[in-house]
Amino acid sequence: MERRDRTFVALARPRGRPGQTKREDTLVEQNTHDGLIGARVRRKEDLRLLTGRTQFVDDVALSGMLEAAVLRSPVPHARILSIDASEALEHPGVYAVVTGAEVKAAVSAPQPVIWRMIPDQLIPDGYPLAVDKVRYVGQGVAAVAAKDRATAEDALELIDVEYEELPPVATLEDALAEDAPKLYEDWPSNVSGSTTIPKGDVATAFADADVVVSETFRFARQMGTPLETRGVVATWDPYTDQLDMWLSTQSPNLARDLLGEVLGISVDKIRVRTPDVGGGFGNKFDFYGEEIVAAILSRRTGRSVKLIEDRMESFVANAHSREQKIDVELAATSDGTITGLKATVYAVLGGQLGTVGIGPCWTTAALMTGPYDIANVELSVVGVMTNRSPYGSYRGWGQPKSNFVHERMVELLAQRIGMDAQDVRLKNFVPPDAFPYGSPVFFYDSGRYADCLDLCRKSVEQAGWLERRDKARADGTAVGIGYSFHVEITAFGPSRILNMAGLQHSGFDEEVVRIDSTGRVTVYTGQSAMGQGVQTALAQVAAQSLGVALDDVTVVVGDTDTCPYTGYGTGASRAAAVGGGAVLTAATRLKEKVLRIAGQVLEASPEDLVVEDGRVSVAGAPDKSISMAEIGDASYRRMNGLLPESESPTLEEREVFDPANVAFSYGCTAVLTEVDTETGEVRLLDYLIAHDCGTVINPLIVDGQLHGGAAQAIGGALYEELVYGDDGQIQTTTFMDYLIPTASEIPPFKLEHMATVADHIPGGFKGMGEGGTIGGGAAITHAVEDALSDYGVSITSLPITPPRLLAAMRAGKDNR
Amino acid sequence: MKAATFEYVRATSVDQVVRTLAEDEDAKILAGGQSLVPLLNMRLARPTTVIDITRIDDLSYVRRANGHVEIGALTTHRLAETSELVRRNVPLLAEALRYVGHVTIRNRGTIGGSIAHADPAAELPATCVALDAELVVQGPHGQRVIAAADFFQGYLMTAIEPEEVITEVRVPVLAQGTGCAVEELARRSGDFALVAVFATMTIGTDGTCQDARITVAGAGPAPVRATGAEALLKGAAVTPDVISAAARAAADATDPPNDIHGPAEYRREMAAVLSRRAITKATNRANGGV
Repeated sequence: MERRDRTFVALARPRGRPGQTKREDTLVEQNTHDGLIGARVRRKEDLRLLTGRTQFVDDVALSGMLEAAVLRSPVPHARILSIDASEALEHPGVYAVVTGAEVKAAVSAPQPVIWRMIPDQLIPDGYPLAVDKVRYVGQGVAAVAAKDRATAEDALELIDVEYEELPPVATLEDALAEDAPKLYEDWPSNVSGSTTIPKGDVATAFADADVVVSETFRFARQMGTPLETRGVVATWDPYTDQLDMWLSTQSPNLARDLLGEVLGISVDKIRVRTPDVGGGFGNKFDFYGEEIVAAILSRRTGRSVKLIEDRMESFVANAHSREQKIDVELAATSDGTITGLKATVYAVLGGQLGTVGIGPCWTTAALMTGPYDIANVELSVVGVMTNRSPYGSYRGWGQPKSNFVHERMVELLAQRIGMDAQDVRLKNFVPPDAFPYGSPVFFYDSGRYADCLDLCRKSVEQAGWLERRDKARADGTAVGIGYSFHVEITAFGPSRILNMAGLQHSGFDEEVVRIDSTGRVTVYTGQSAMGQGVQTALAQVAAQSLGVALDDVTVVVGDTDTCPYTGYGTGASRAAAVGGGAVLTAATRLKEKVLRIAGQVLEASPEDLVVEDGRVSVAGAPDKSISMAEIGDASYRRMNGLLPESESPTLEEREVFDPANVAFSYGCTAVLTEVDTETGEVRLLDYLIAHDCGTVINPLIVDGQLHGGAAQAIGGALYEELVYGDDGQIQTTTFMDYLIPTASEIPPFKLEHMATVADHIPGGFKGMGEGGTIGGGAAITHAVEDALSDYGVSITSLPITPPRLLAAMRAGKDNR
Repeated sequence: MKAATFEYVRATSVDQVVRTLAEDEDAKILAGGQSLVPLLNMRLARPTTVIDITRIDDLSYVRRANGHVEIGALTTHRLAETSELVRRNVPLLAEALRYVGHVTIRNRGTIGGSIAHADPAAELPATCVALDAELVVQGPHGQRVIAAADFFQGYLMTAIEPEEVITEVRVPVLAQGTGCAVEELARRSGDFALVAVFATMTIGTDGTCQDARITVAGAGPAPVRATGAEALLKGAAVTPDVISAAARAAADATDPPNDIHGPAEYRREMAAVLSRRAITKATNRANGGV
């Protein structure tokens, strides 16, 4: 295991640029753009989304379509003794019932676990519906296809399942207890696997340390809750044997491959279409059993089958995330230099491994040093199975916990040695001249962390927070300011290196740019449109690269038959960076062809031509020009005398971009908060993020991503918790109990941008879909602690609820 | 989340409602639907008949009569909240209604529906208790009037008989010199209260408390009228010490639930904090402050 991680480090080094030179960086928002890249243009998607006129998967209605529903386990841990579906099958309007055993018999492989970074990890075979045993409340047991959803739900009540209940393993502690009941009887324990990421000499670092700070942190179970729950419409054509899937997914190409793998059919027989996705926060990256169930029900009935997860089901059937316990020790010298970091991440996995396995928890360990240059580390992750829903992807993918740990430890160290926490940060930041920097696992490409921290602090001062805090305190109100600094892995990623790390999939991106016979541009992409504005962003890149107007570019998404292949999917903050980079290269090459054609027509050398607003003209002689429409016509229809003999007809370029490395964005978050010291309520007064994601394609989209990400950080820090009772029953299955912040709980946001380009990505783009989520929890926590500085509060778990905060205030006072 | 099958009856008169209720003991009344529809869809409520009363014309009104503000059962929260009659004569009710869900919910939810549902954390039942309101119900044997104090009997339980329907709420107009205040603690804006306190304070010209009414929601299976706290306030000069003692007495009267949003102990403690704040604010308002 150790060797494997070291191999990964060695291979992750970006190829052939040890002493690279950087482009001139700027601190201004709209960095040197004189065109559409960097322009704050309105999103092409907004009109259809905001007027409710777009199409989501539940809007798909096909002739003769059936609707399905899944019978879910009411118990956390039990053997299935028998399932009697005879009454359900006889219920009027019911077309088919399948049980777990029947589904297992119909598939060729278990549900895929694509992240396998622990070579000897025990990975149980999981099937779309439970077979023999249920291991969490809500696990699918059987499914019904009927004339409509209500009838299907009626039929579910007629299925008789006999369970032999087993003692539940409700918590991490339950699972690790010596005499714990085992989820998988043939395993030695409930531990699925563990690994350690080493760097340097930790033993010496701790032996020589002036200060050692230890703490244990806990993170509640949370999940992404898109307004549109997951859903699928499957049509398995009995005559062509073609499987046509409408699927609300972030990863259509991956889904197609996994459908083929599980169903044992070649992918040419599978088409995945993705309409607008009504929010996907990672949980729609993952591949679920319902996709397979719908396909099998369609094959059984010969009809299209729609299977939509309802809101209550979503709280058990959608990927859960975040839940971890982390033990940490930090070694430092008395001047604040961090010399060592040891941590063990306990991943509270569910009853089965999801698509991404232990991936997010491994990432928590892998990125635990954050922006800091720590020479000696030993970062372990232990995966533990419990009778809870499976763990999966959620915006941030392990990084919110890494961030919380390193930022809390910096503050604790600062308190211990009596130093300003910002000075501890500055002392330990990876310096600008150290890039590319080899962190314990990944290579950081570029960054100016101290500048970003400085930008954030200046912005806080300009916003008058210090005066607001002073004044409030003079009035007896508990107001505080908190900071955090985060890094964010994006532009995922170099395929072979990801494979080396254990990913059973790729990370490249393929984009097609075409100019048609009327001179208009279409970009075909494998990325999914899930409200993030990818169609606008890619259109901006194509339009600027070709010299056409934004309105002349259409971006086609969501069909594996017509769109190219993207590795991974639309997640891991990769669409703008790797998609944008590929579009830029393809469009630039296409422009060269346009110029060659125009050069022939205008009798000028291509180097002397300029393209502006869809018209190619000779520099300095604007009357000598030809429109993109004329070039399109010459390339597709009336070419004689216009299209050079040396050029083939049509105008299309295809680019495959497999980045040499990931790209690291980063930012500094500051929060101004007020605490009601009698009730423990926390109110966010103001919120500020200074941020760097390389070249910005559209500041409006970047702002929106940061706002949305921060809203989810606020939810994670103050509100959201999937609660399980000691009996293994989930207690939060509605939005009355699972509290996501609403507009009333979200403060105003102020953003500052700087741009340090990613040299290894065409255009210099980095991704930035998750930064807002990563940095929020620690900053909010520090603001709360600052507001309560009189109380000596130390917060080690999220979310911070009013009763818990009040208890922490009392504990803090007692400790003093 | 699709409701199980039920018969649907669109009633056009209160008599028809009462008749249908008498015919089917598993019938449920649908008004604004803000509580019933989720329960139907989750199949937690499985009535055999749903009686839609929203088309009954004469059950939505706010009027003043006989020293009371009378509100028809089908009046929406929003209509009552924005009613000048309510604001002027029973400002506590107008203030309390602002805490009911969000505006979109208040546009649909009805006064009668919320009272009949009798969620102990809801604002309307507690406000009715605080204001000594009367509930008018109609059944096969005619009309009867029930005091709010007797109406709310437990968690989602009221004095309404199975074949009866609530038709009106009568709220006594508040005396001159009365200040009102609502203090509510909820996890988010619009959520059900963890604890909420509804207070009216009537202060005489000599500065002593003539009348005090304190009710706590979310503090037990039904709204809790804090009579002990009221006794400490009545006739007393309203000093911070007296207010604190009353607030503690109000908290002592509670028997709050324990759930994932707040332990019982926390809620009881918050009942004291919120009572102190509410009594103070109501007193200030009675004295002409805000």
